[in-house]
Amino acid sequence: MNRLVAIVIPPALLAAALAFAHDTEEGKGRLGKVTFPTSCDPKVQPDFERAVAMLHSFWYSEGEKAFRDVLAADPGCAIAGWGVASLLMSNPLAGQGASPKGAEQAQAAIDEARRIGAKTQRERDYIDAVAAYYDDFANKPEKARQLARAQAYEKLAARYPDDDEAQIFFALYNAGTQSQADQTYSAYLRSAAILEKEFEKYPDHPGVAHYLIHSYDAPPIAEKGLVAARRYAGIAPDAPHALHMPSHIFTRVGAWEESVATNARSAEVARKGGTDIDEAYHASDYMVYAYLQLARDDDARRTIDDIRTVGGQSPRFVAPYATASMMARYAVERGDWKAAAALQPVAESYPFTNAITYFARGLGSARTGDLAAARANAAELEKMHASLLAAKNTYWATEVEVQRLALAGWIALGESNNAEALKLMRAAADLEDRNEKHIVTPGRLLPARELLGDMLLQTGDAKGALRELEASQKREPNRFRNYALCARAAEAAGDHEKARQYSTRLVDLAKGGNGPARPELVQARASLAQK
Amino acid sequence: MTRGFAALLIAWALGATPVAHADPYEVEPDLAKRDADYAAAKAAIDRRDWQQAIASLEKTAVREPESADLQNLLGYSYRNLGQYPLAFKHYNEAIRLEPRHRGAHEYIGETYLLVGDVENARKHLAALKDICLLGCDELRDLEAAIASYESARATTTAPKSK
Repeated sequence: MNRLVAIVIPPALLAAALAFAHDTEEGKGRLGKVTFPTSCDPKVQPDFERAVAMLHSFWYSEGEKAFRDVLAADPGCAIAGWGVASLLMSNPLAGQGASPKGAEQAQAAIDEARRIGAKTQRERDYIDAVAAYYDDFANKPEKARQLARAQAYEKLAARYPDDDEAQIFFALYNAGTQSQADQTYSAYLRSAAILEKEFEKYPDHPGVAHYLIHSYDAPPIAEKGLVAARRYAGIAPDAPHALHMPSHIFTRVGAWEESVATNARSAEVARKGGTDIDEAYHASDYMVYAYLQLARDDDARRTIDDIRTVGGQSPRFVAPYATASMMARYAVERGDWKAAAALQPVAESYPFTNAITYFARGLGSARTGDLAAARANAAELEKMHASLLAAKNTYWATEVEVQRLALAGWIALGESNNAEALKLMRAAADLEDRNEKHIVTPGRLLPARELLGDMLLQTGDAKGALRELEASQKREPNRFRNYALCARAAEAAGDHEKARQYSTRLVDLAKGGNGPARPELVQARASLAQK
Repeated sequence: MTRGFAALLIAWALGATPVAHADPYEVEPDLAKRDADYAAAKAAIDRRDWQQAIASLEKTAVREPESADLQNLLGYSYRNLGQYPLAFKHYNEAIRLEPRHRGAHEYIGETYLLVGDVENARKHLAALKDICLLGCDELRDLEAAIASYESARATTTAPKSK
């Protein structure tokens, strides 16, 4: 790498590209501003940059089509093949990468680009950089492909230090090498450092804002992504991913008002977008979760009723998941255990989405004293767990196992077997801590560690309860139920000042609340009024 | 073991995994659907063609070095060939990759019984007791296998009556 020679993009080429940079905003929807000079026919340059903007917002199918259209309009535009191959790598931050079929198509696009022959060394280097990922595809694990891609783009970025797109793509692919085992988040933070500089130069670039969010997408550093999250949806409001994606950061930091705002727009755009209903349901689930933290219960109810009128295809499991979650959340977040016990499973669903309903029913039954019903729901969860294990679906099997352990704990508590109850609930919390939250959900139905705190409070260990509840805040911050339980636990532990602080937070969180006032809120207000 | 291994090979139901897959929303996490060599290995196991199964699994292992299920199947194939050191190696690798892999704990425990090492079998039984707080087939099967082994040993070592 040290021997690489820095190459400066010819000013004339850059100027030509800049002239087109704003065209991505005109006529065909706003996707942000991208400047990517090429040697292609100037007439296709706006469409090429629009396609690059789609690539930056992970708009796979539309983006691939856009690059192929560019190539059709200008058969000499070899760099369009780079775009096709780039999109076929799929989400570079998700782990698996291209499918074998996608790899074949990408290799064909790369071969075609090389056959056409790009007119500049820089374009040939971009094509070589993406080709590094696909090289010997069938005989490499995905991690090796990701590493080869990051190294190739690092060389590209070093060779063209004035090429901001090269810096931005290197930052993206470097972030893709982040190991989950590395709790210093070294790859993420290296990428973020590059992107922060680019963000100062290009505040309207869709990739910079987007990748900054991903580079801070881990609990200890999530706060740093707030600025980019707030910006991204405004940069590319016509890219569906851009509207919803910032709410992942908003949820991680408990910024509920912002989560509501961005998901409301996302759901609206998605509902107008066609027959795939997943995006609309997904956004609605995030919105309901946020509303319930704000005690805006009427808004949550209206959102659920509204989205459930939307029919259509759910090609993945997102809509069934969101449906089961929203219904269950609405009951358990408000502590309406009777309603939780009466929930009905969503028809034609999946084992792990139905498990949400049975878990809520079981908790509701156990907490209203109907242990027979709770055990029946636990038996259903056991069946779902077994089917997921048989399916080698390790992730969701673990999630359902957490639910089984937690429910067994609450049943044991109902049987006055406190030691067994706490042992099972603690095992559930520890297991959940080791299984990262899936991006389909803003949060588990109820955090297991929060449930452990709840149980400890019920068994008379107020200090232990407070310790677990505050530990739960690290992963699931700014939650209504957590603050309500913390206020009670602190009061029971004799820490009146801390109890007052949590009551204040609770009242503040729910200041825009609607629907019948929750008992915890009434109690917190009364408690504060007395002091 | 029959039930356990049958479960190992059951067709895959529904679900998804998080960061380990390209589309984090994909419904089908089955490696056999994504990898022709893995599918061929499973077909070979169905035929009890252990050499072919190993050859196909090792091809897939180049691409999927972090698949605990694949390592578990390699362990199973070597075990059926009577190559116990290699079976232990791959079962242990499966457990290293996925410490809560119930099947691997059961099968390595049963393999230890095949070589007369009941103490190591009990270690994996203890691991299963920690993993399956609510009980599980793998725990019950290994418990039964250890009980059978000890019963048989007691019979063979008991003094013969005159």
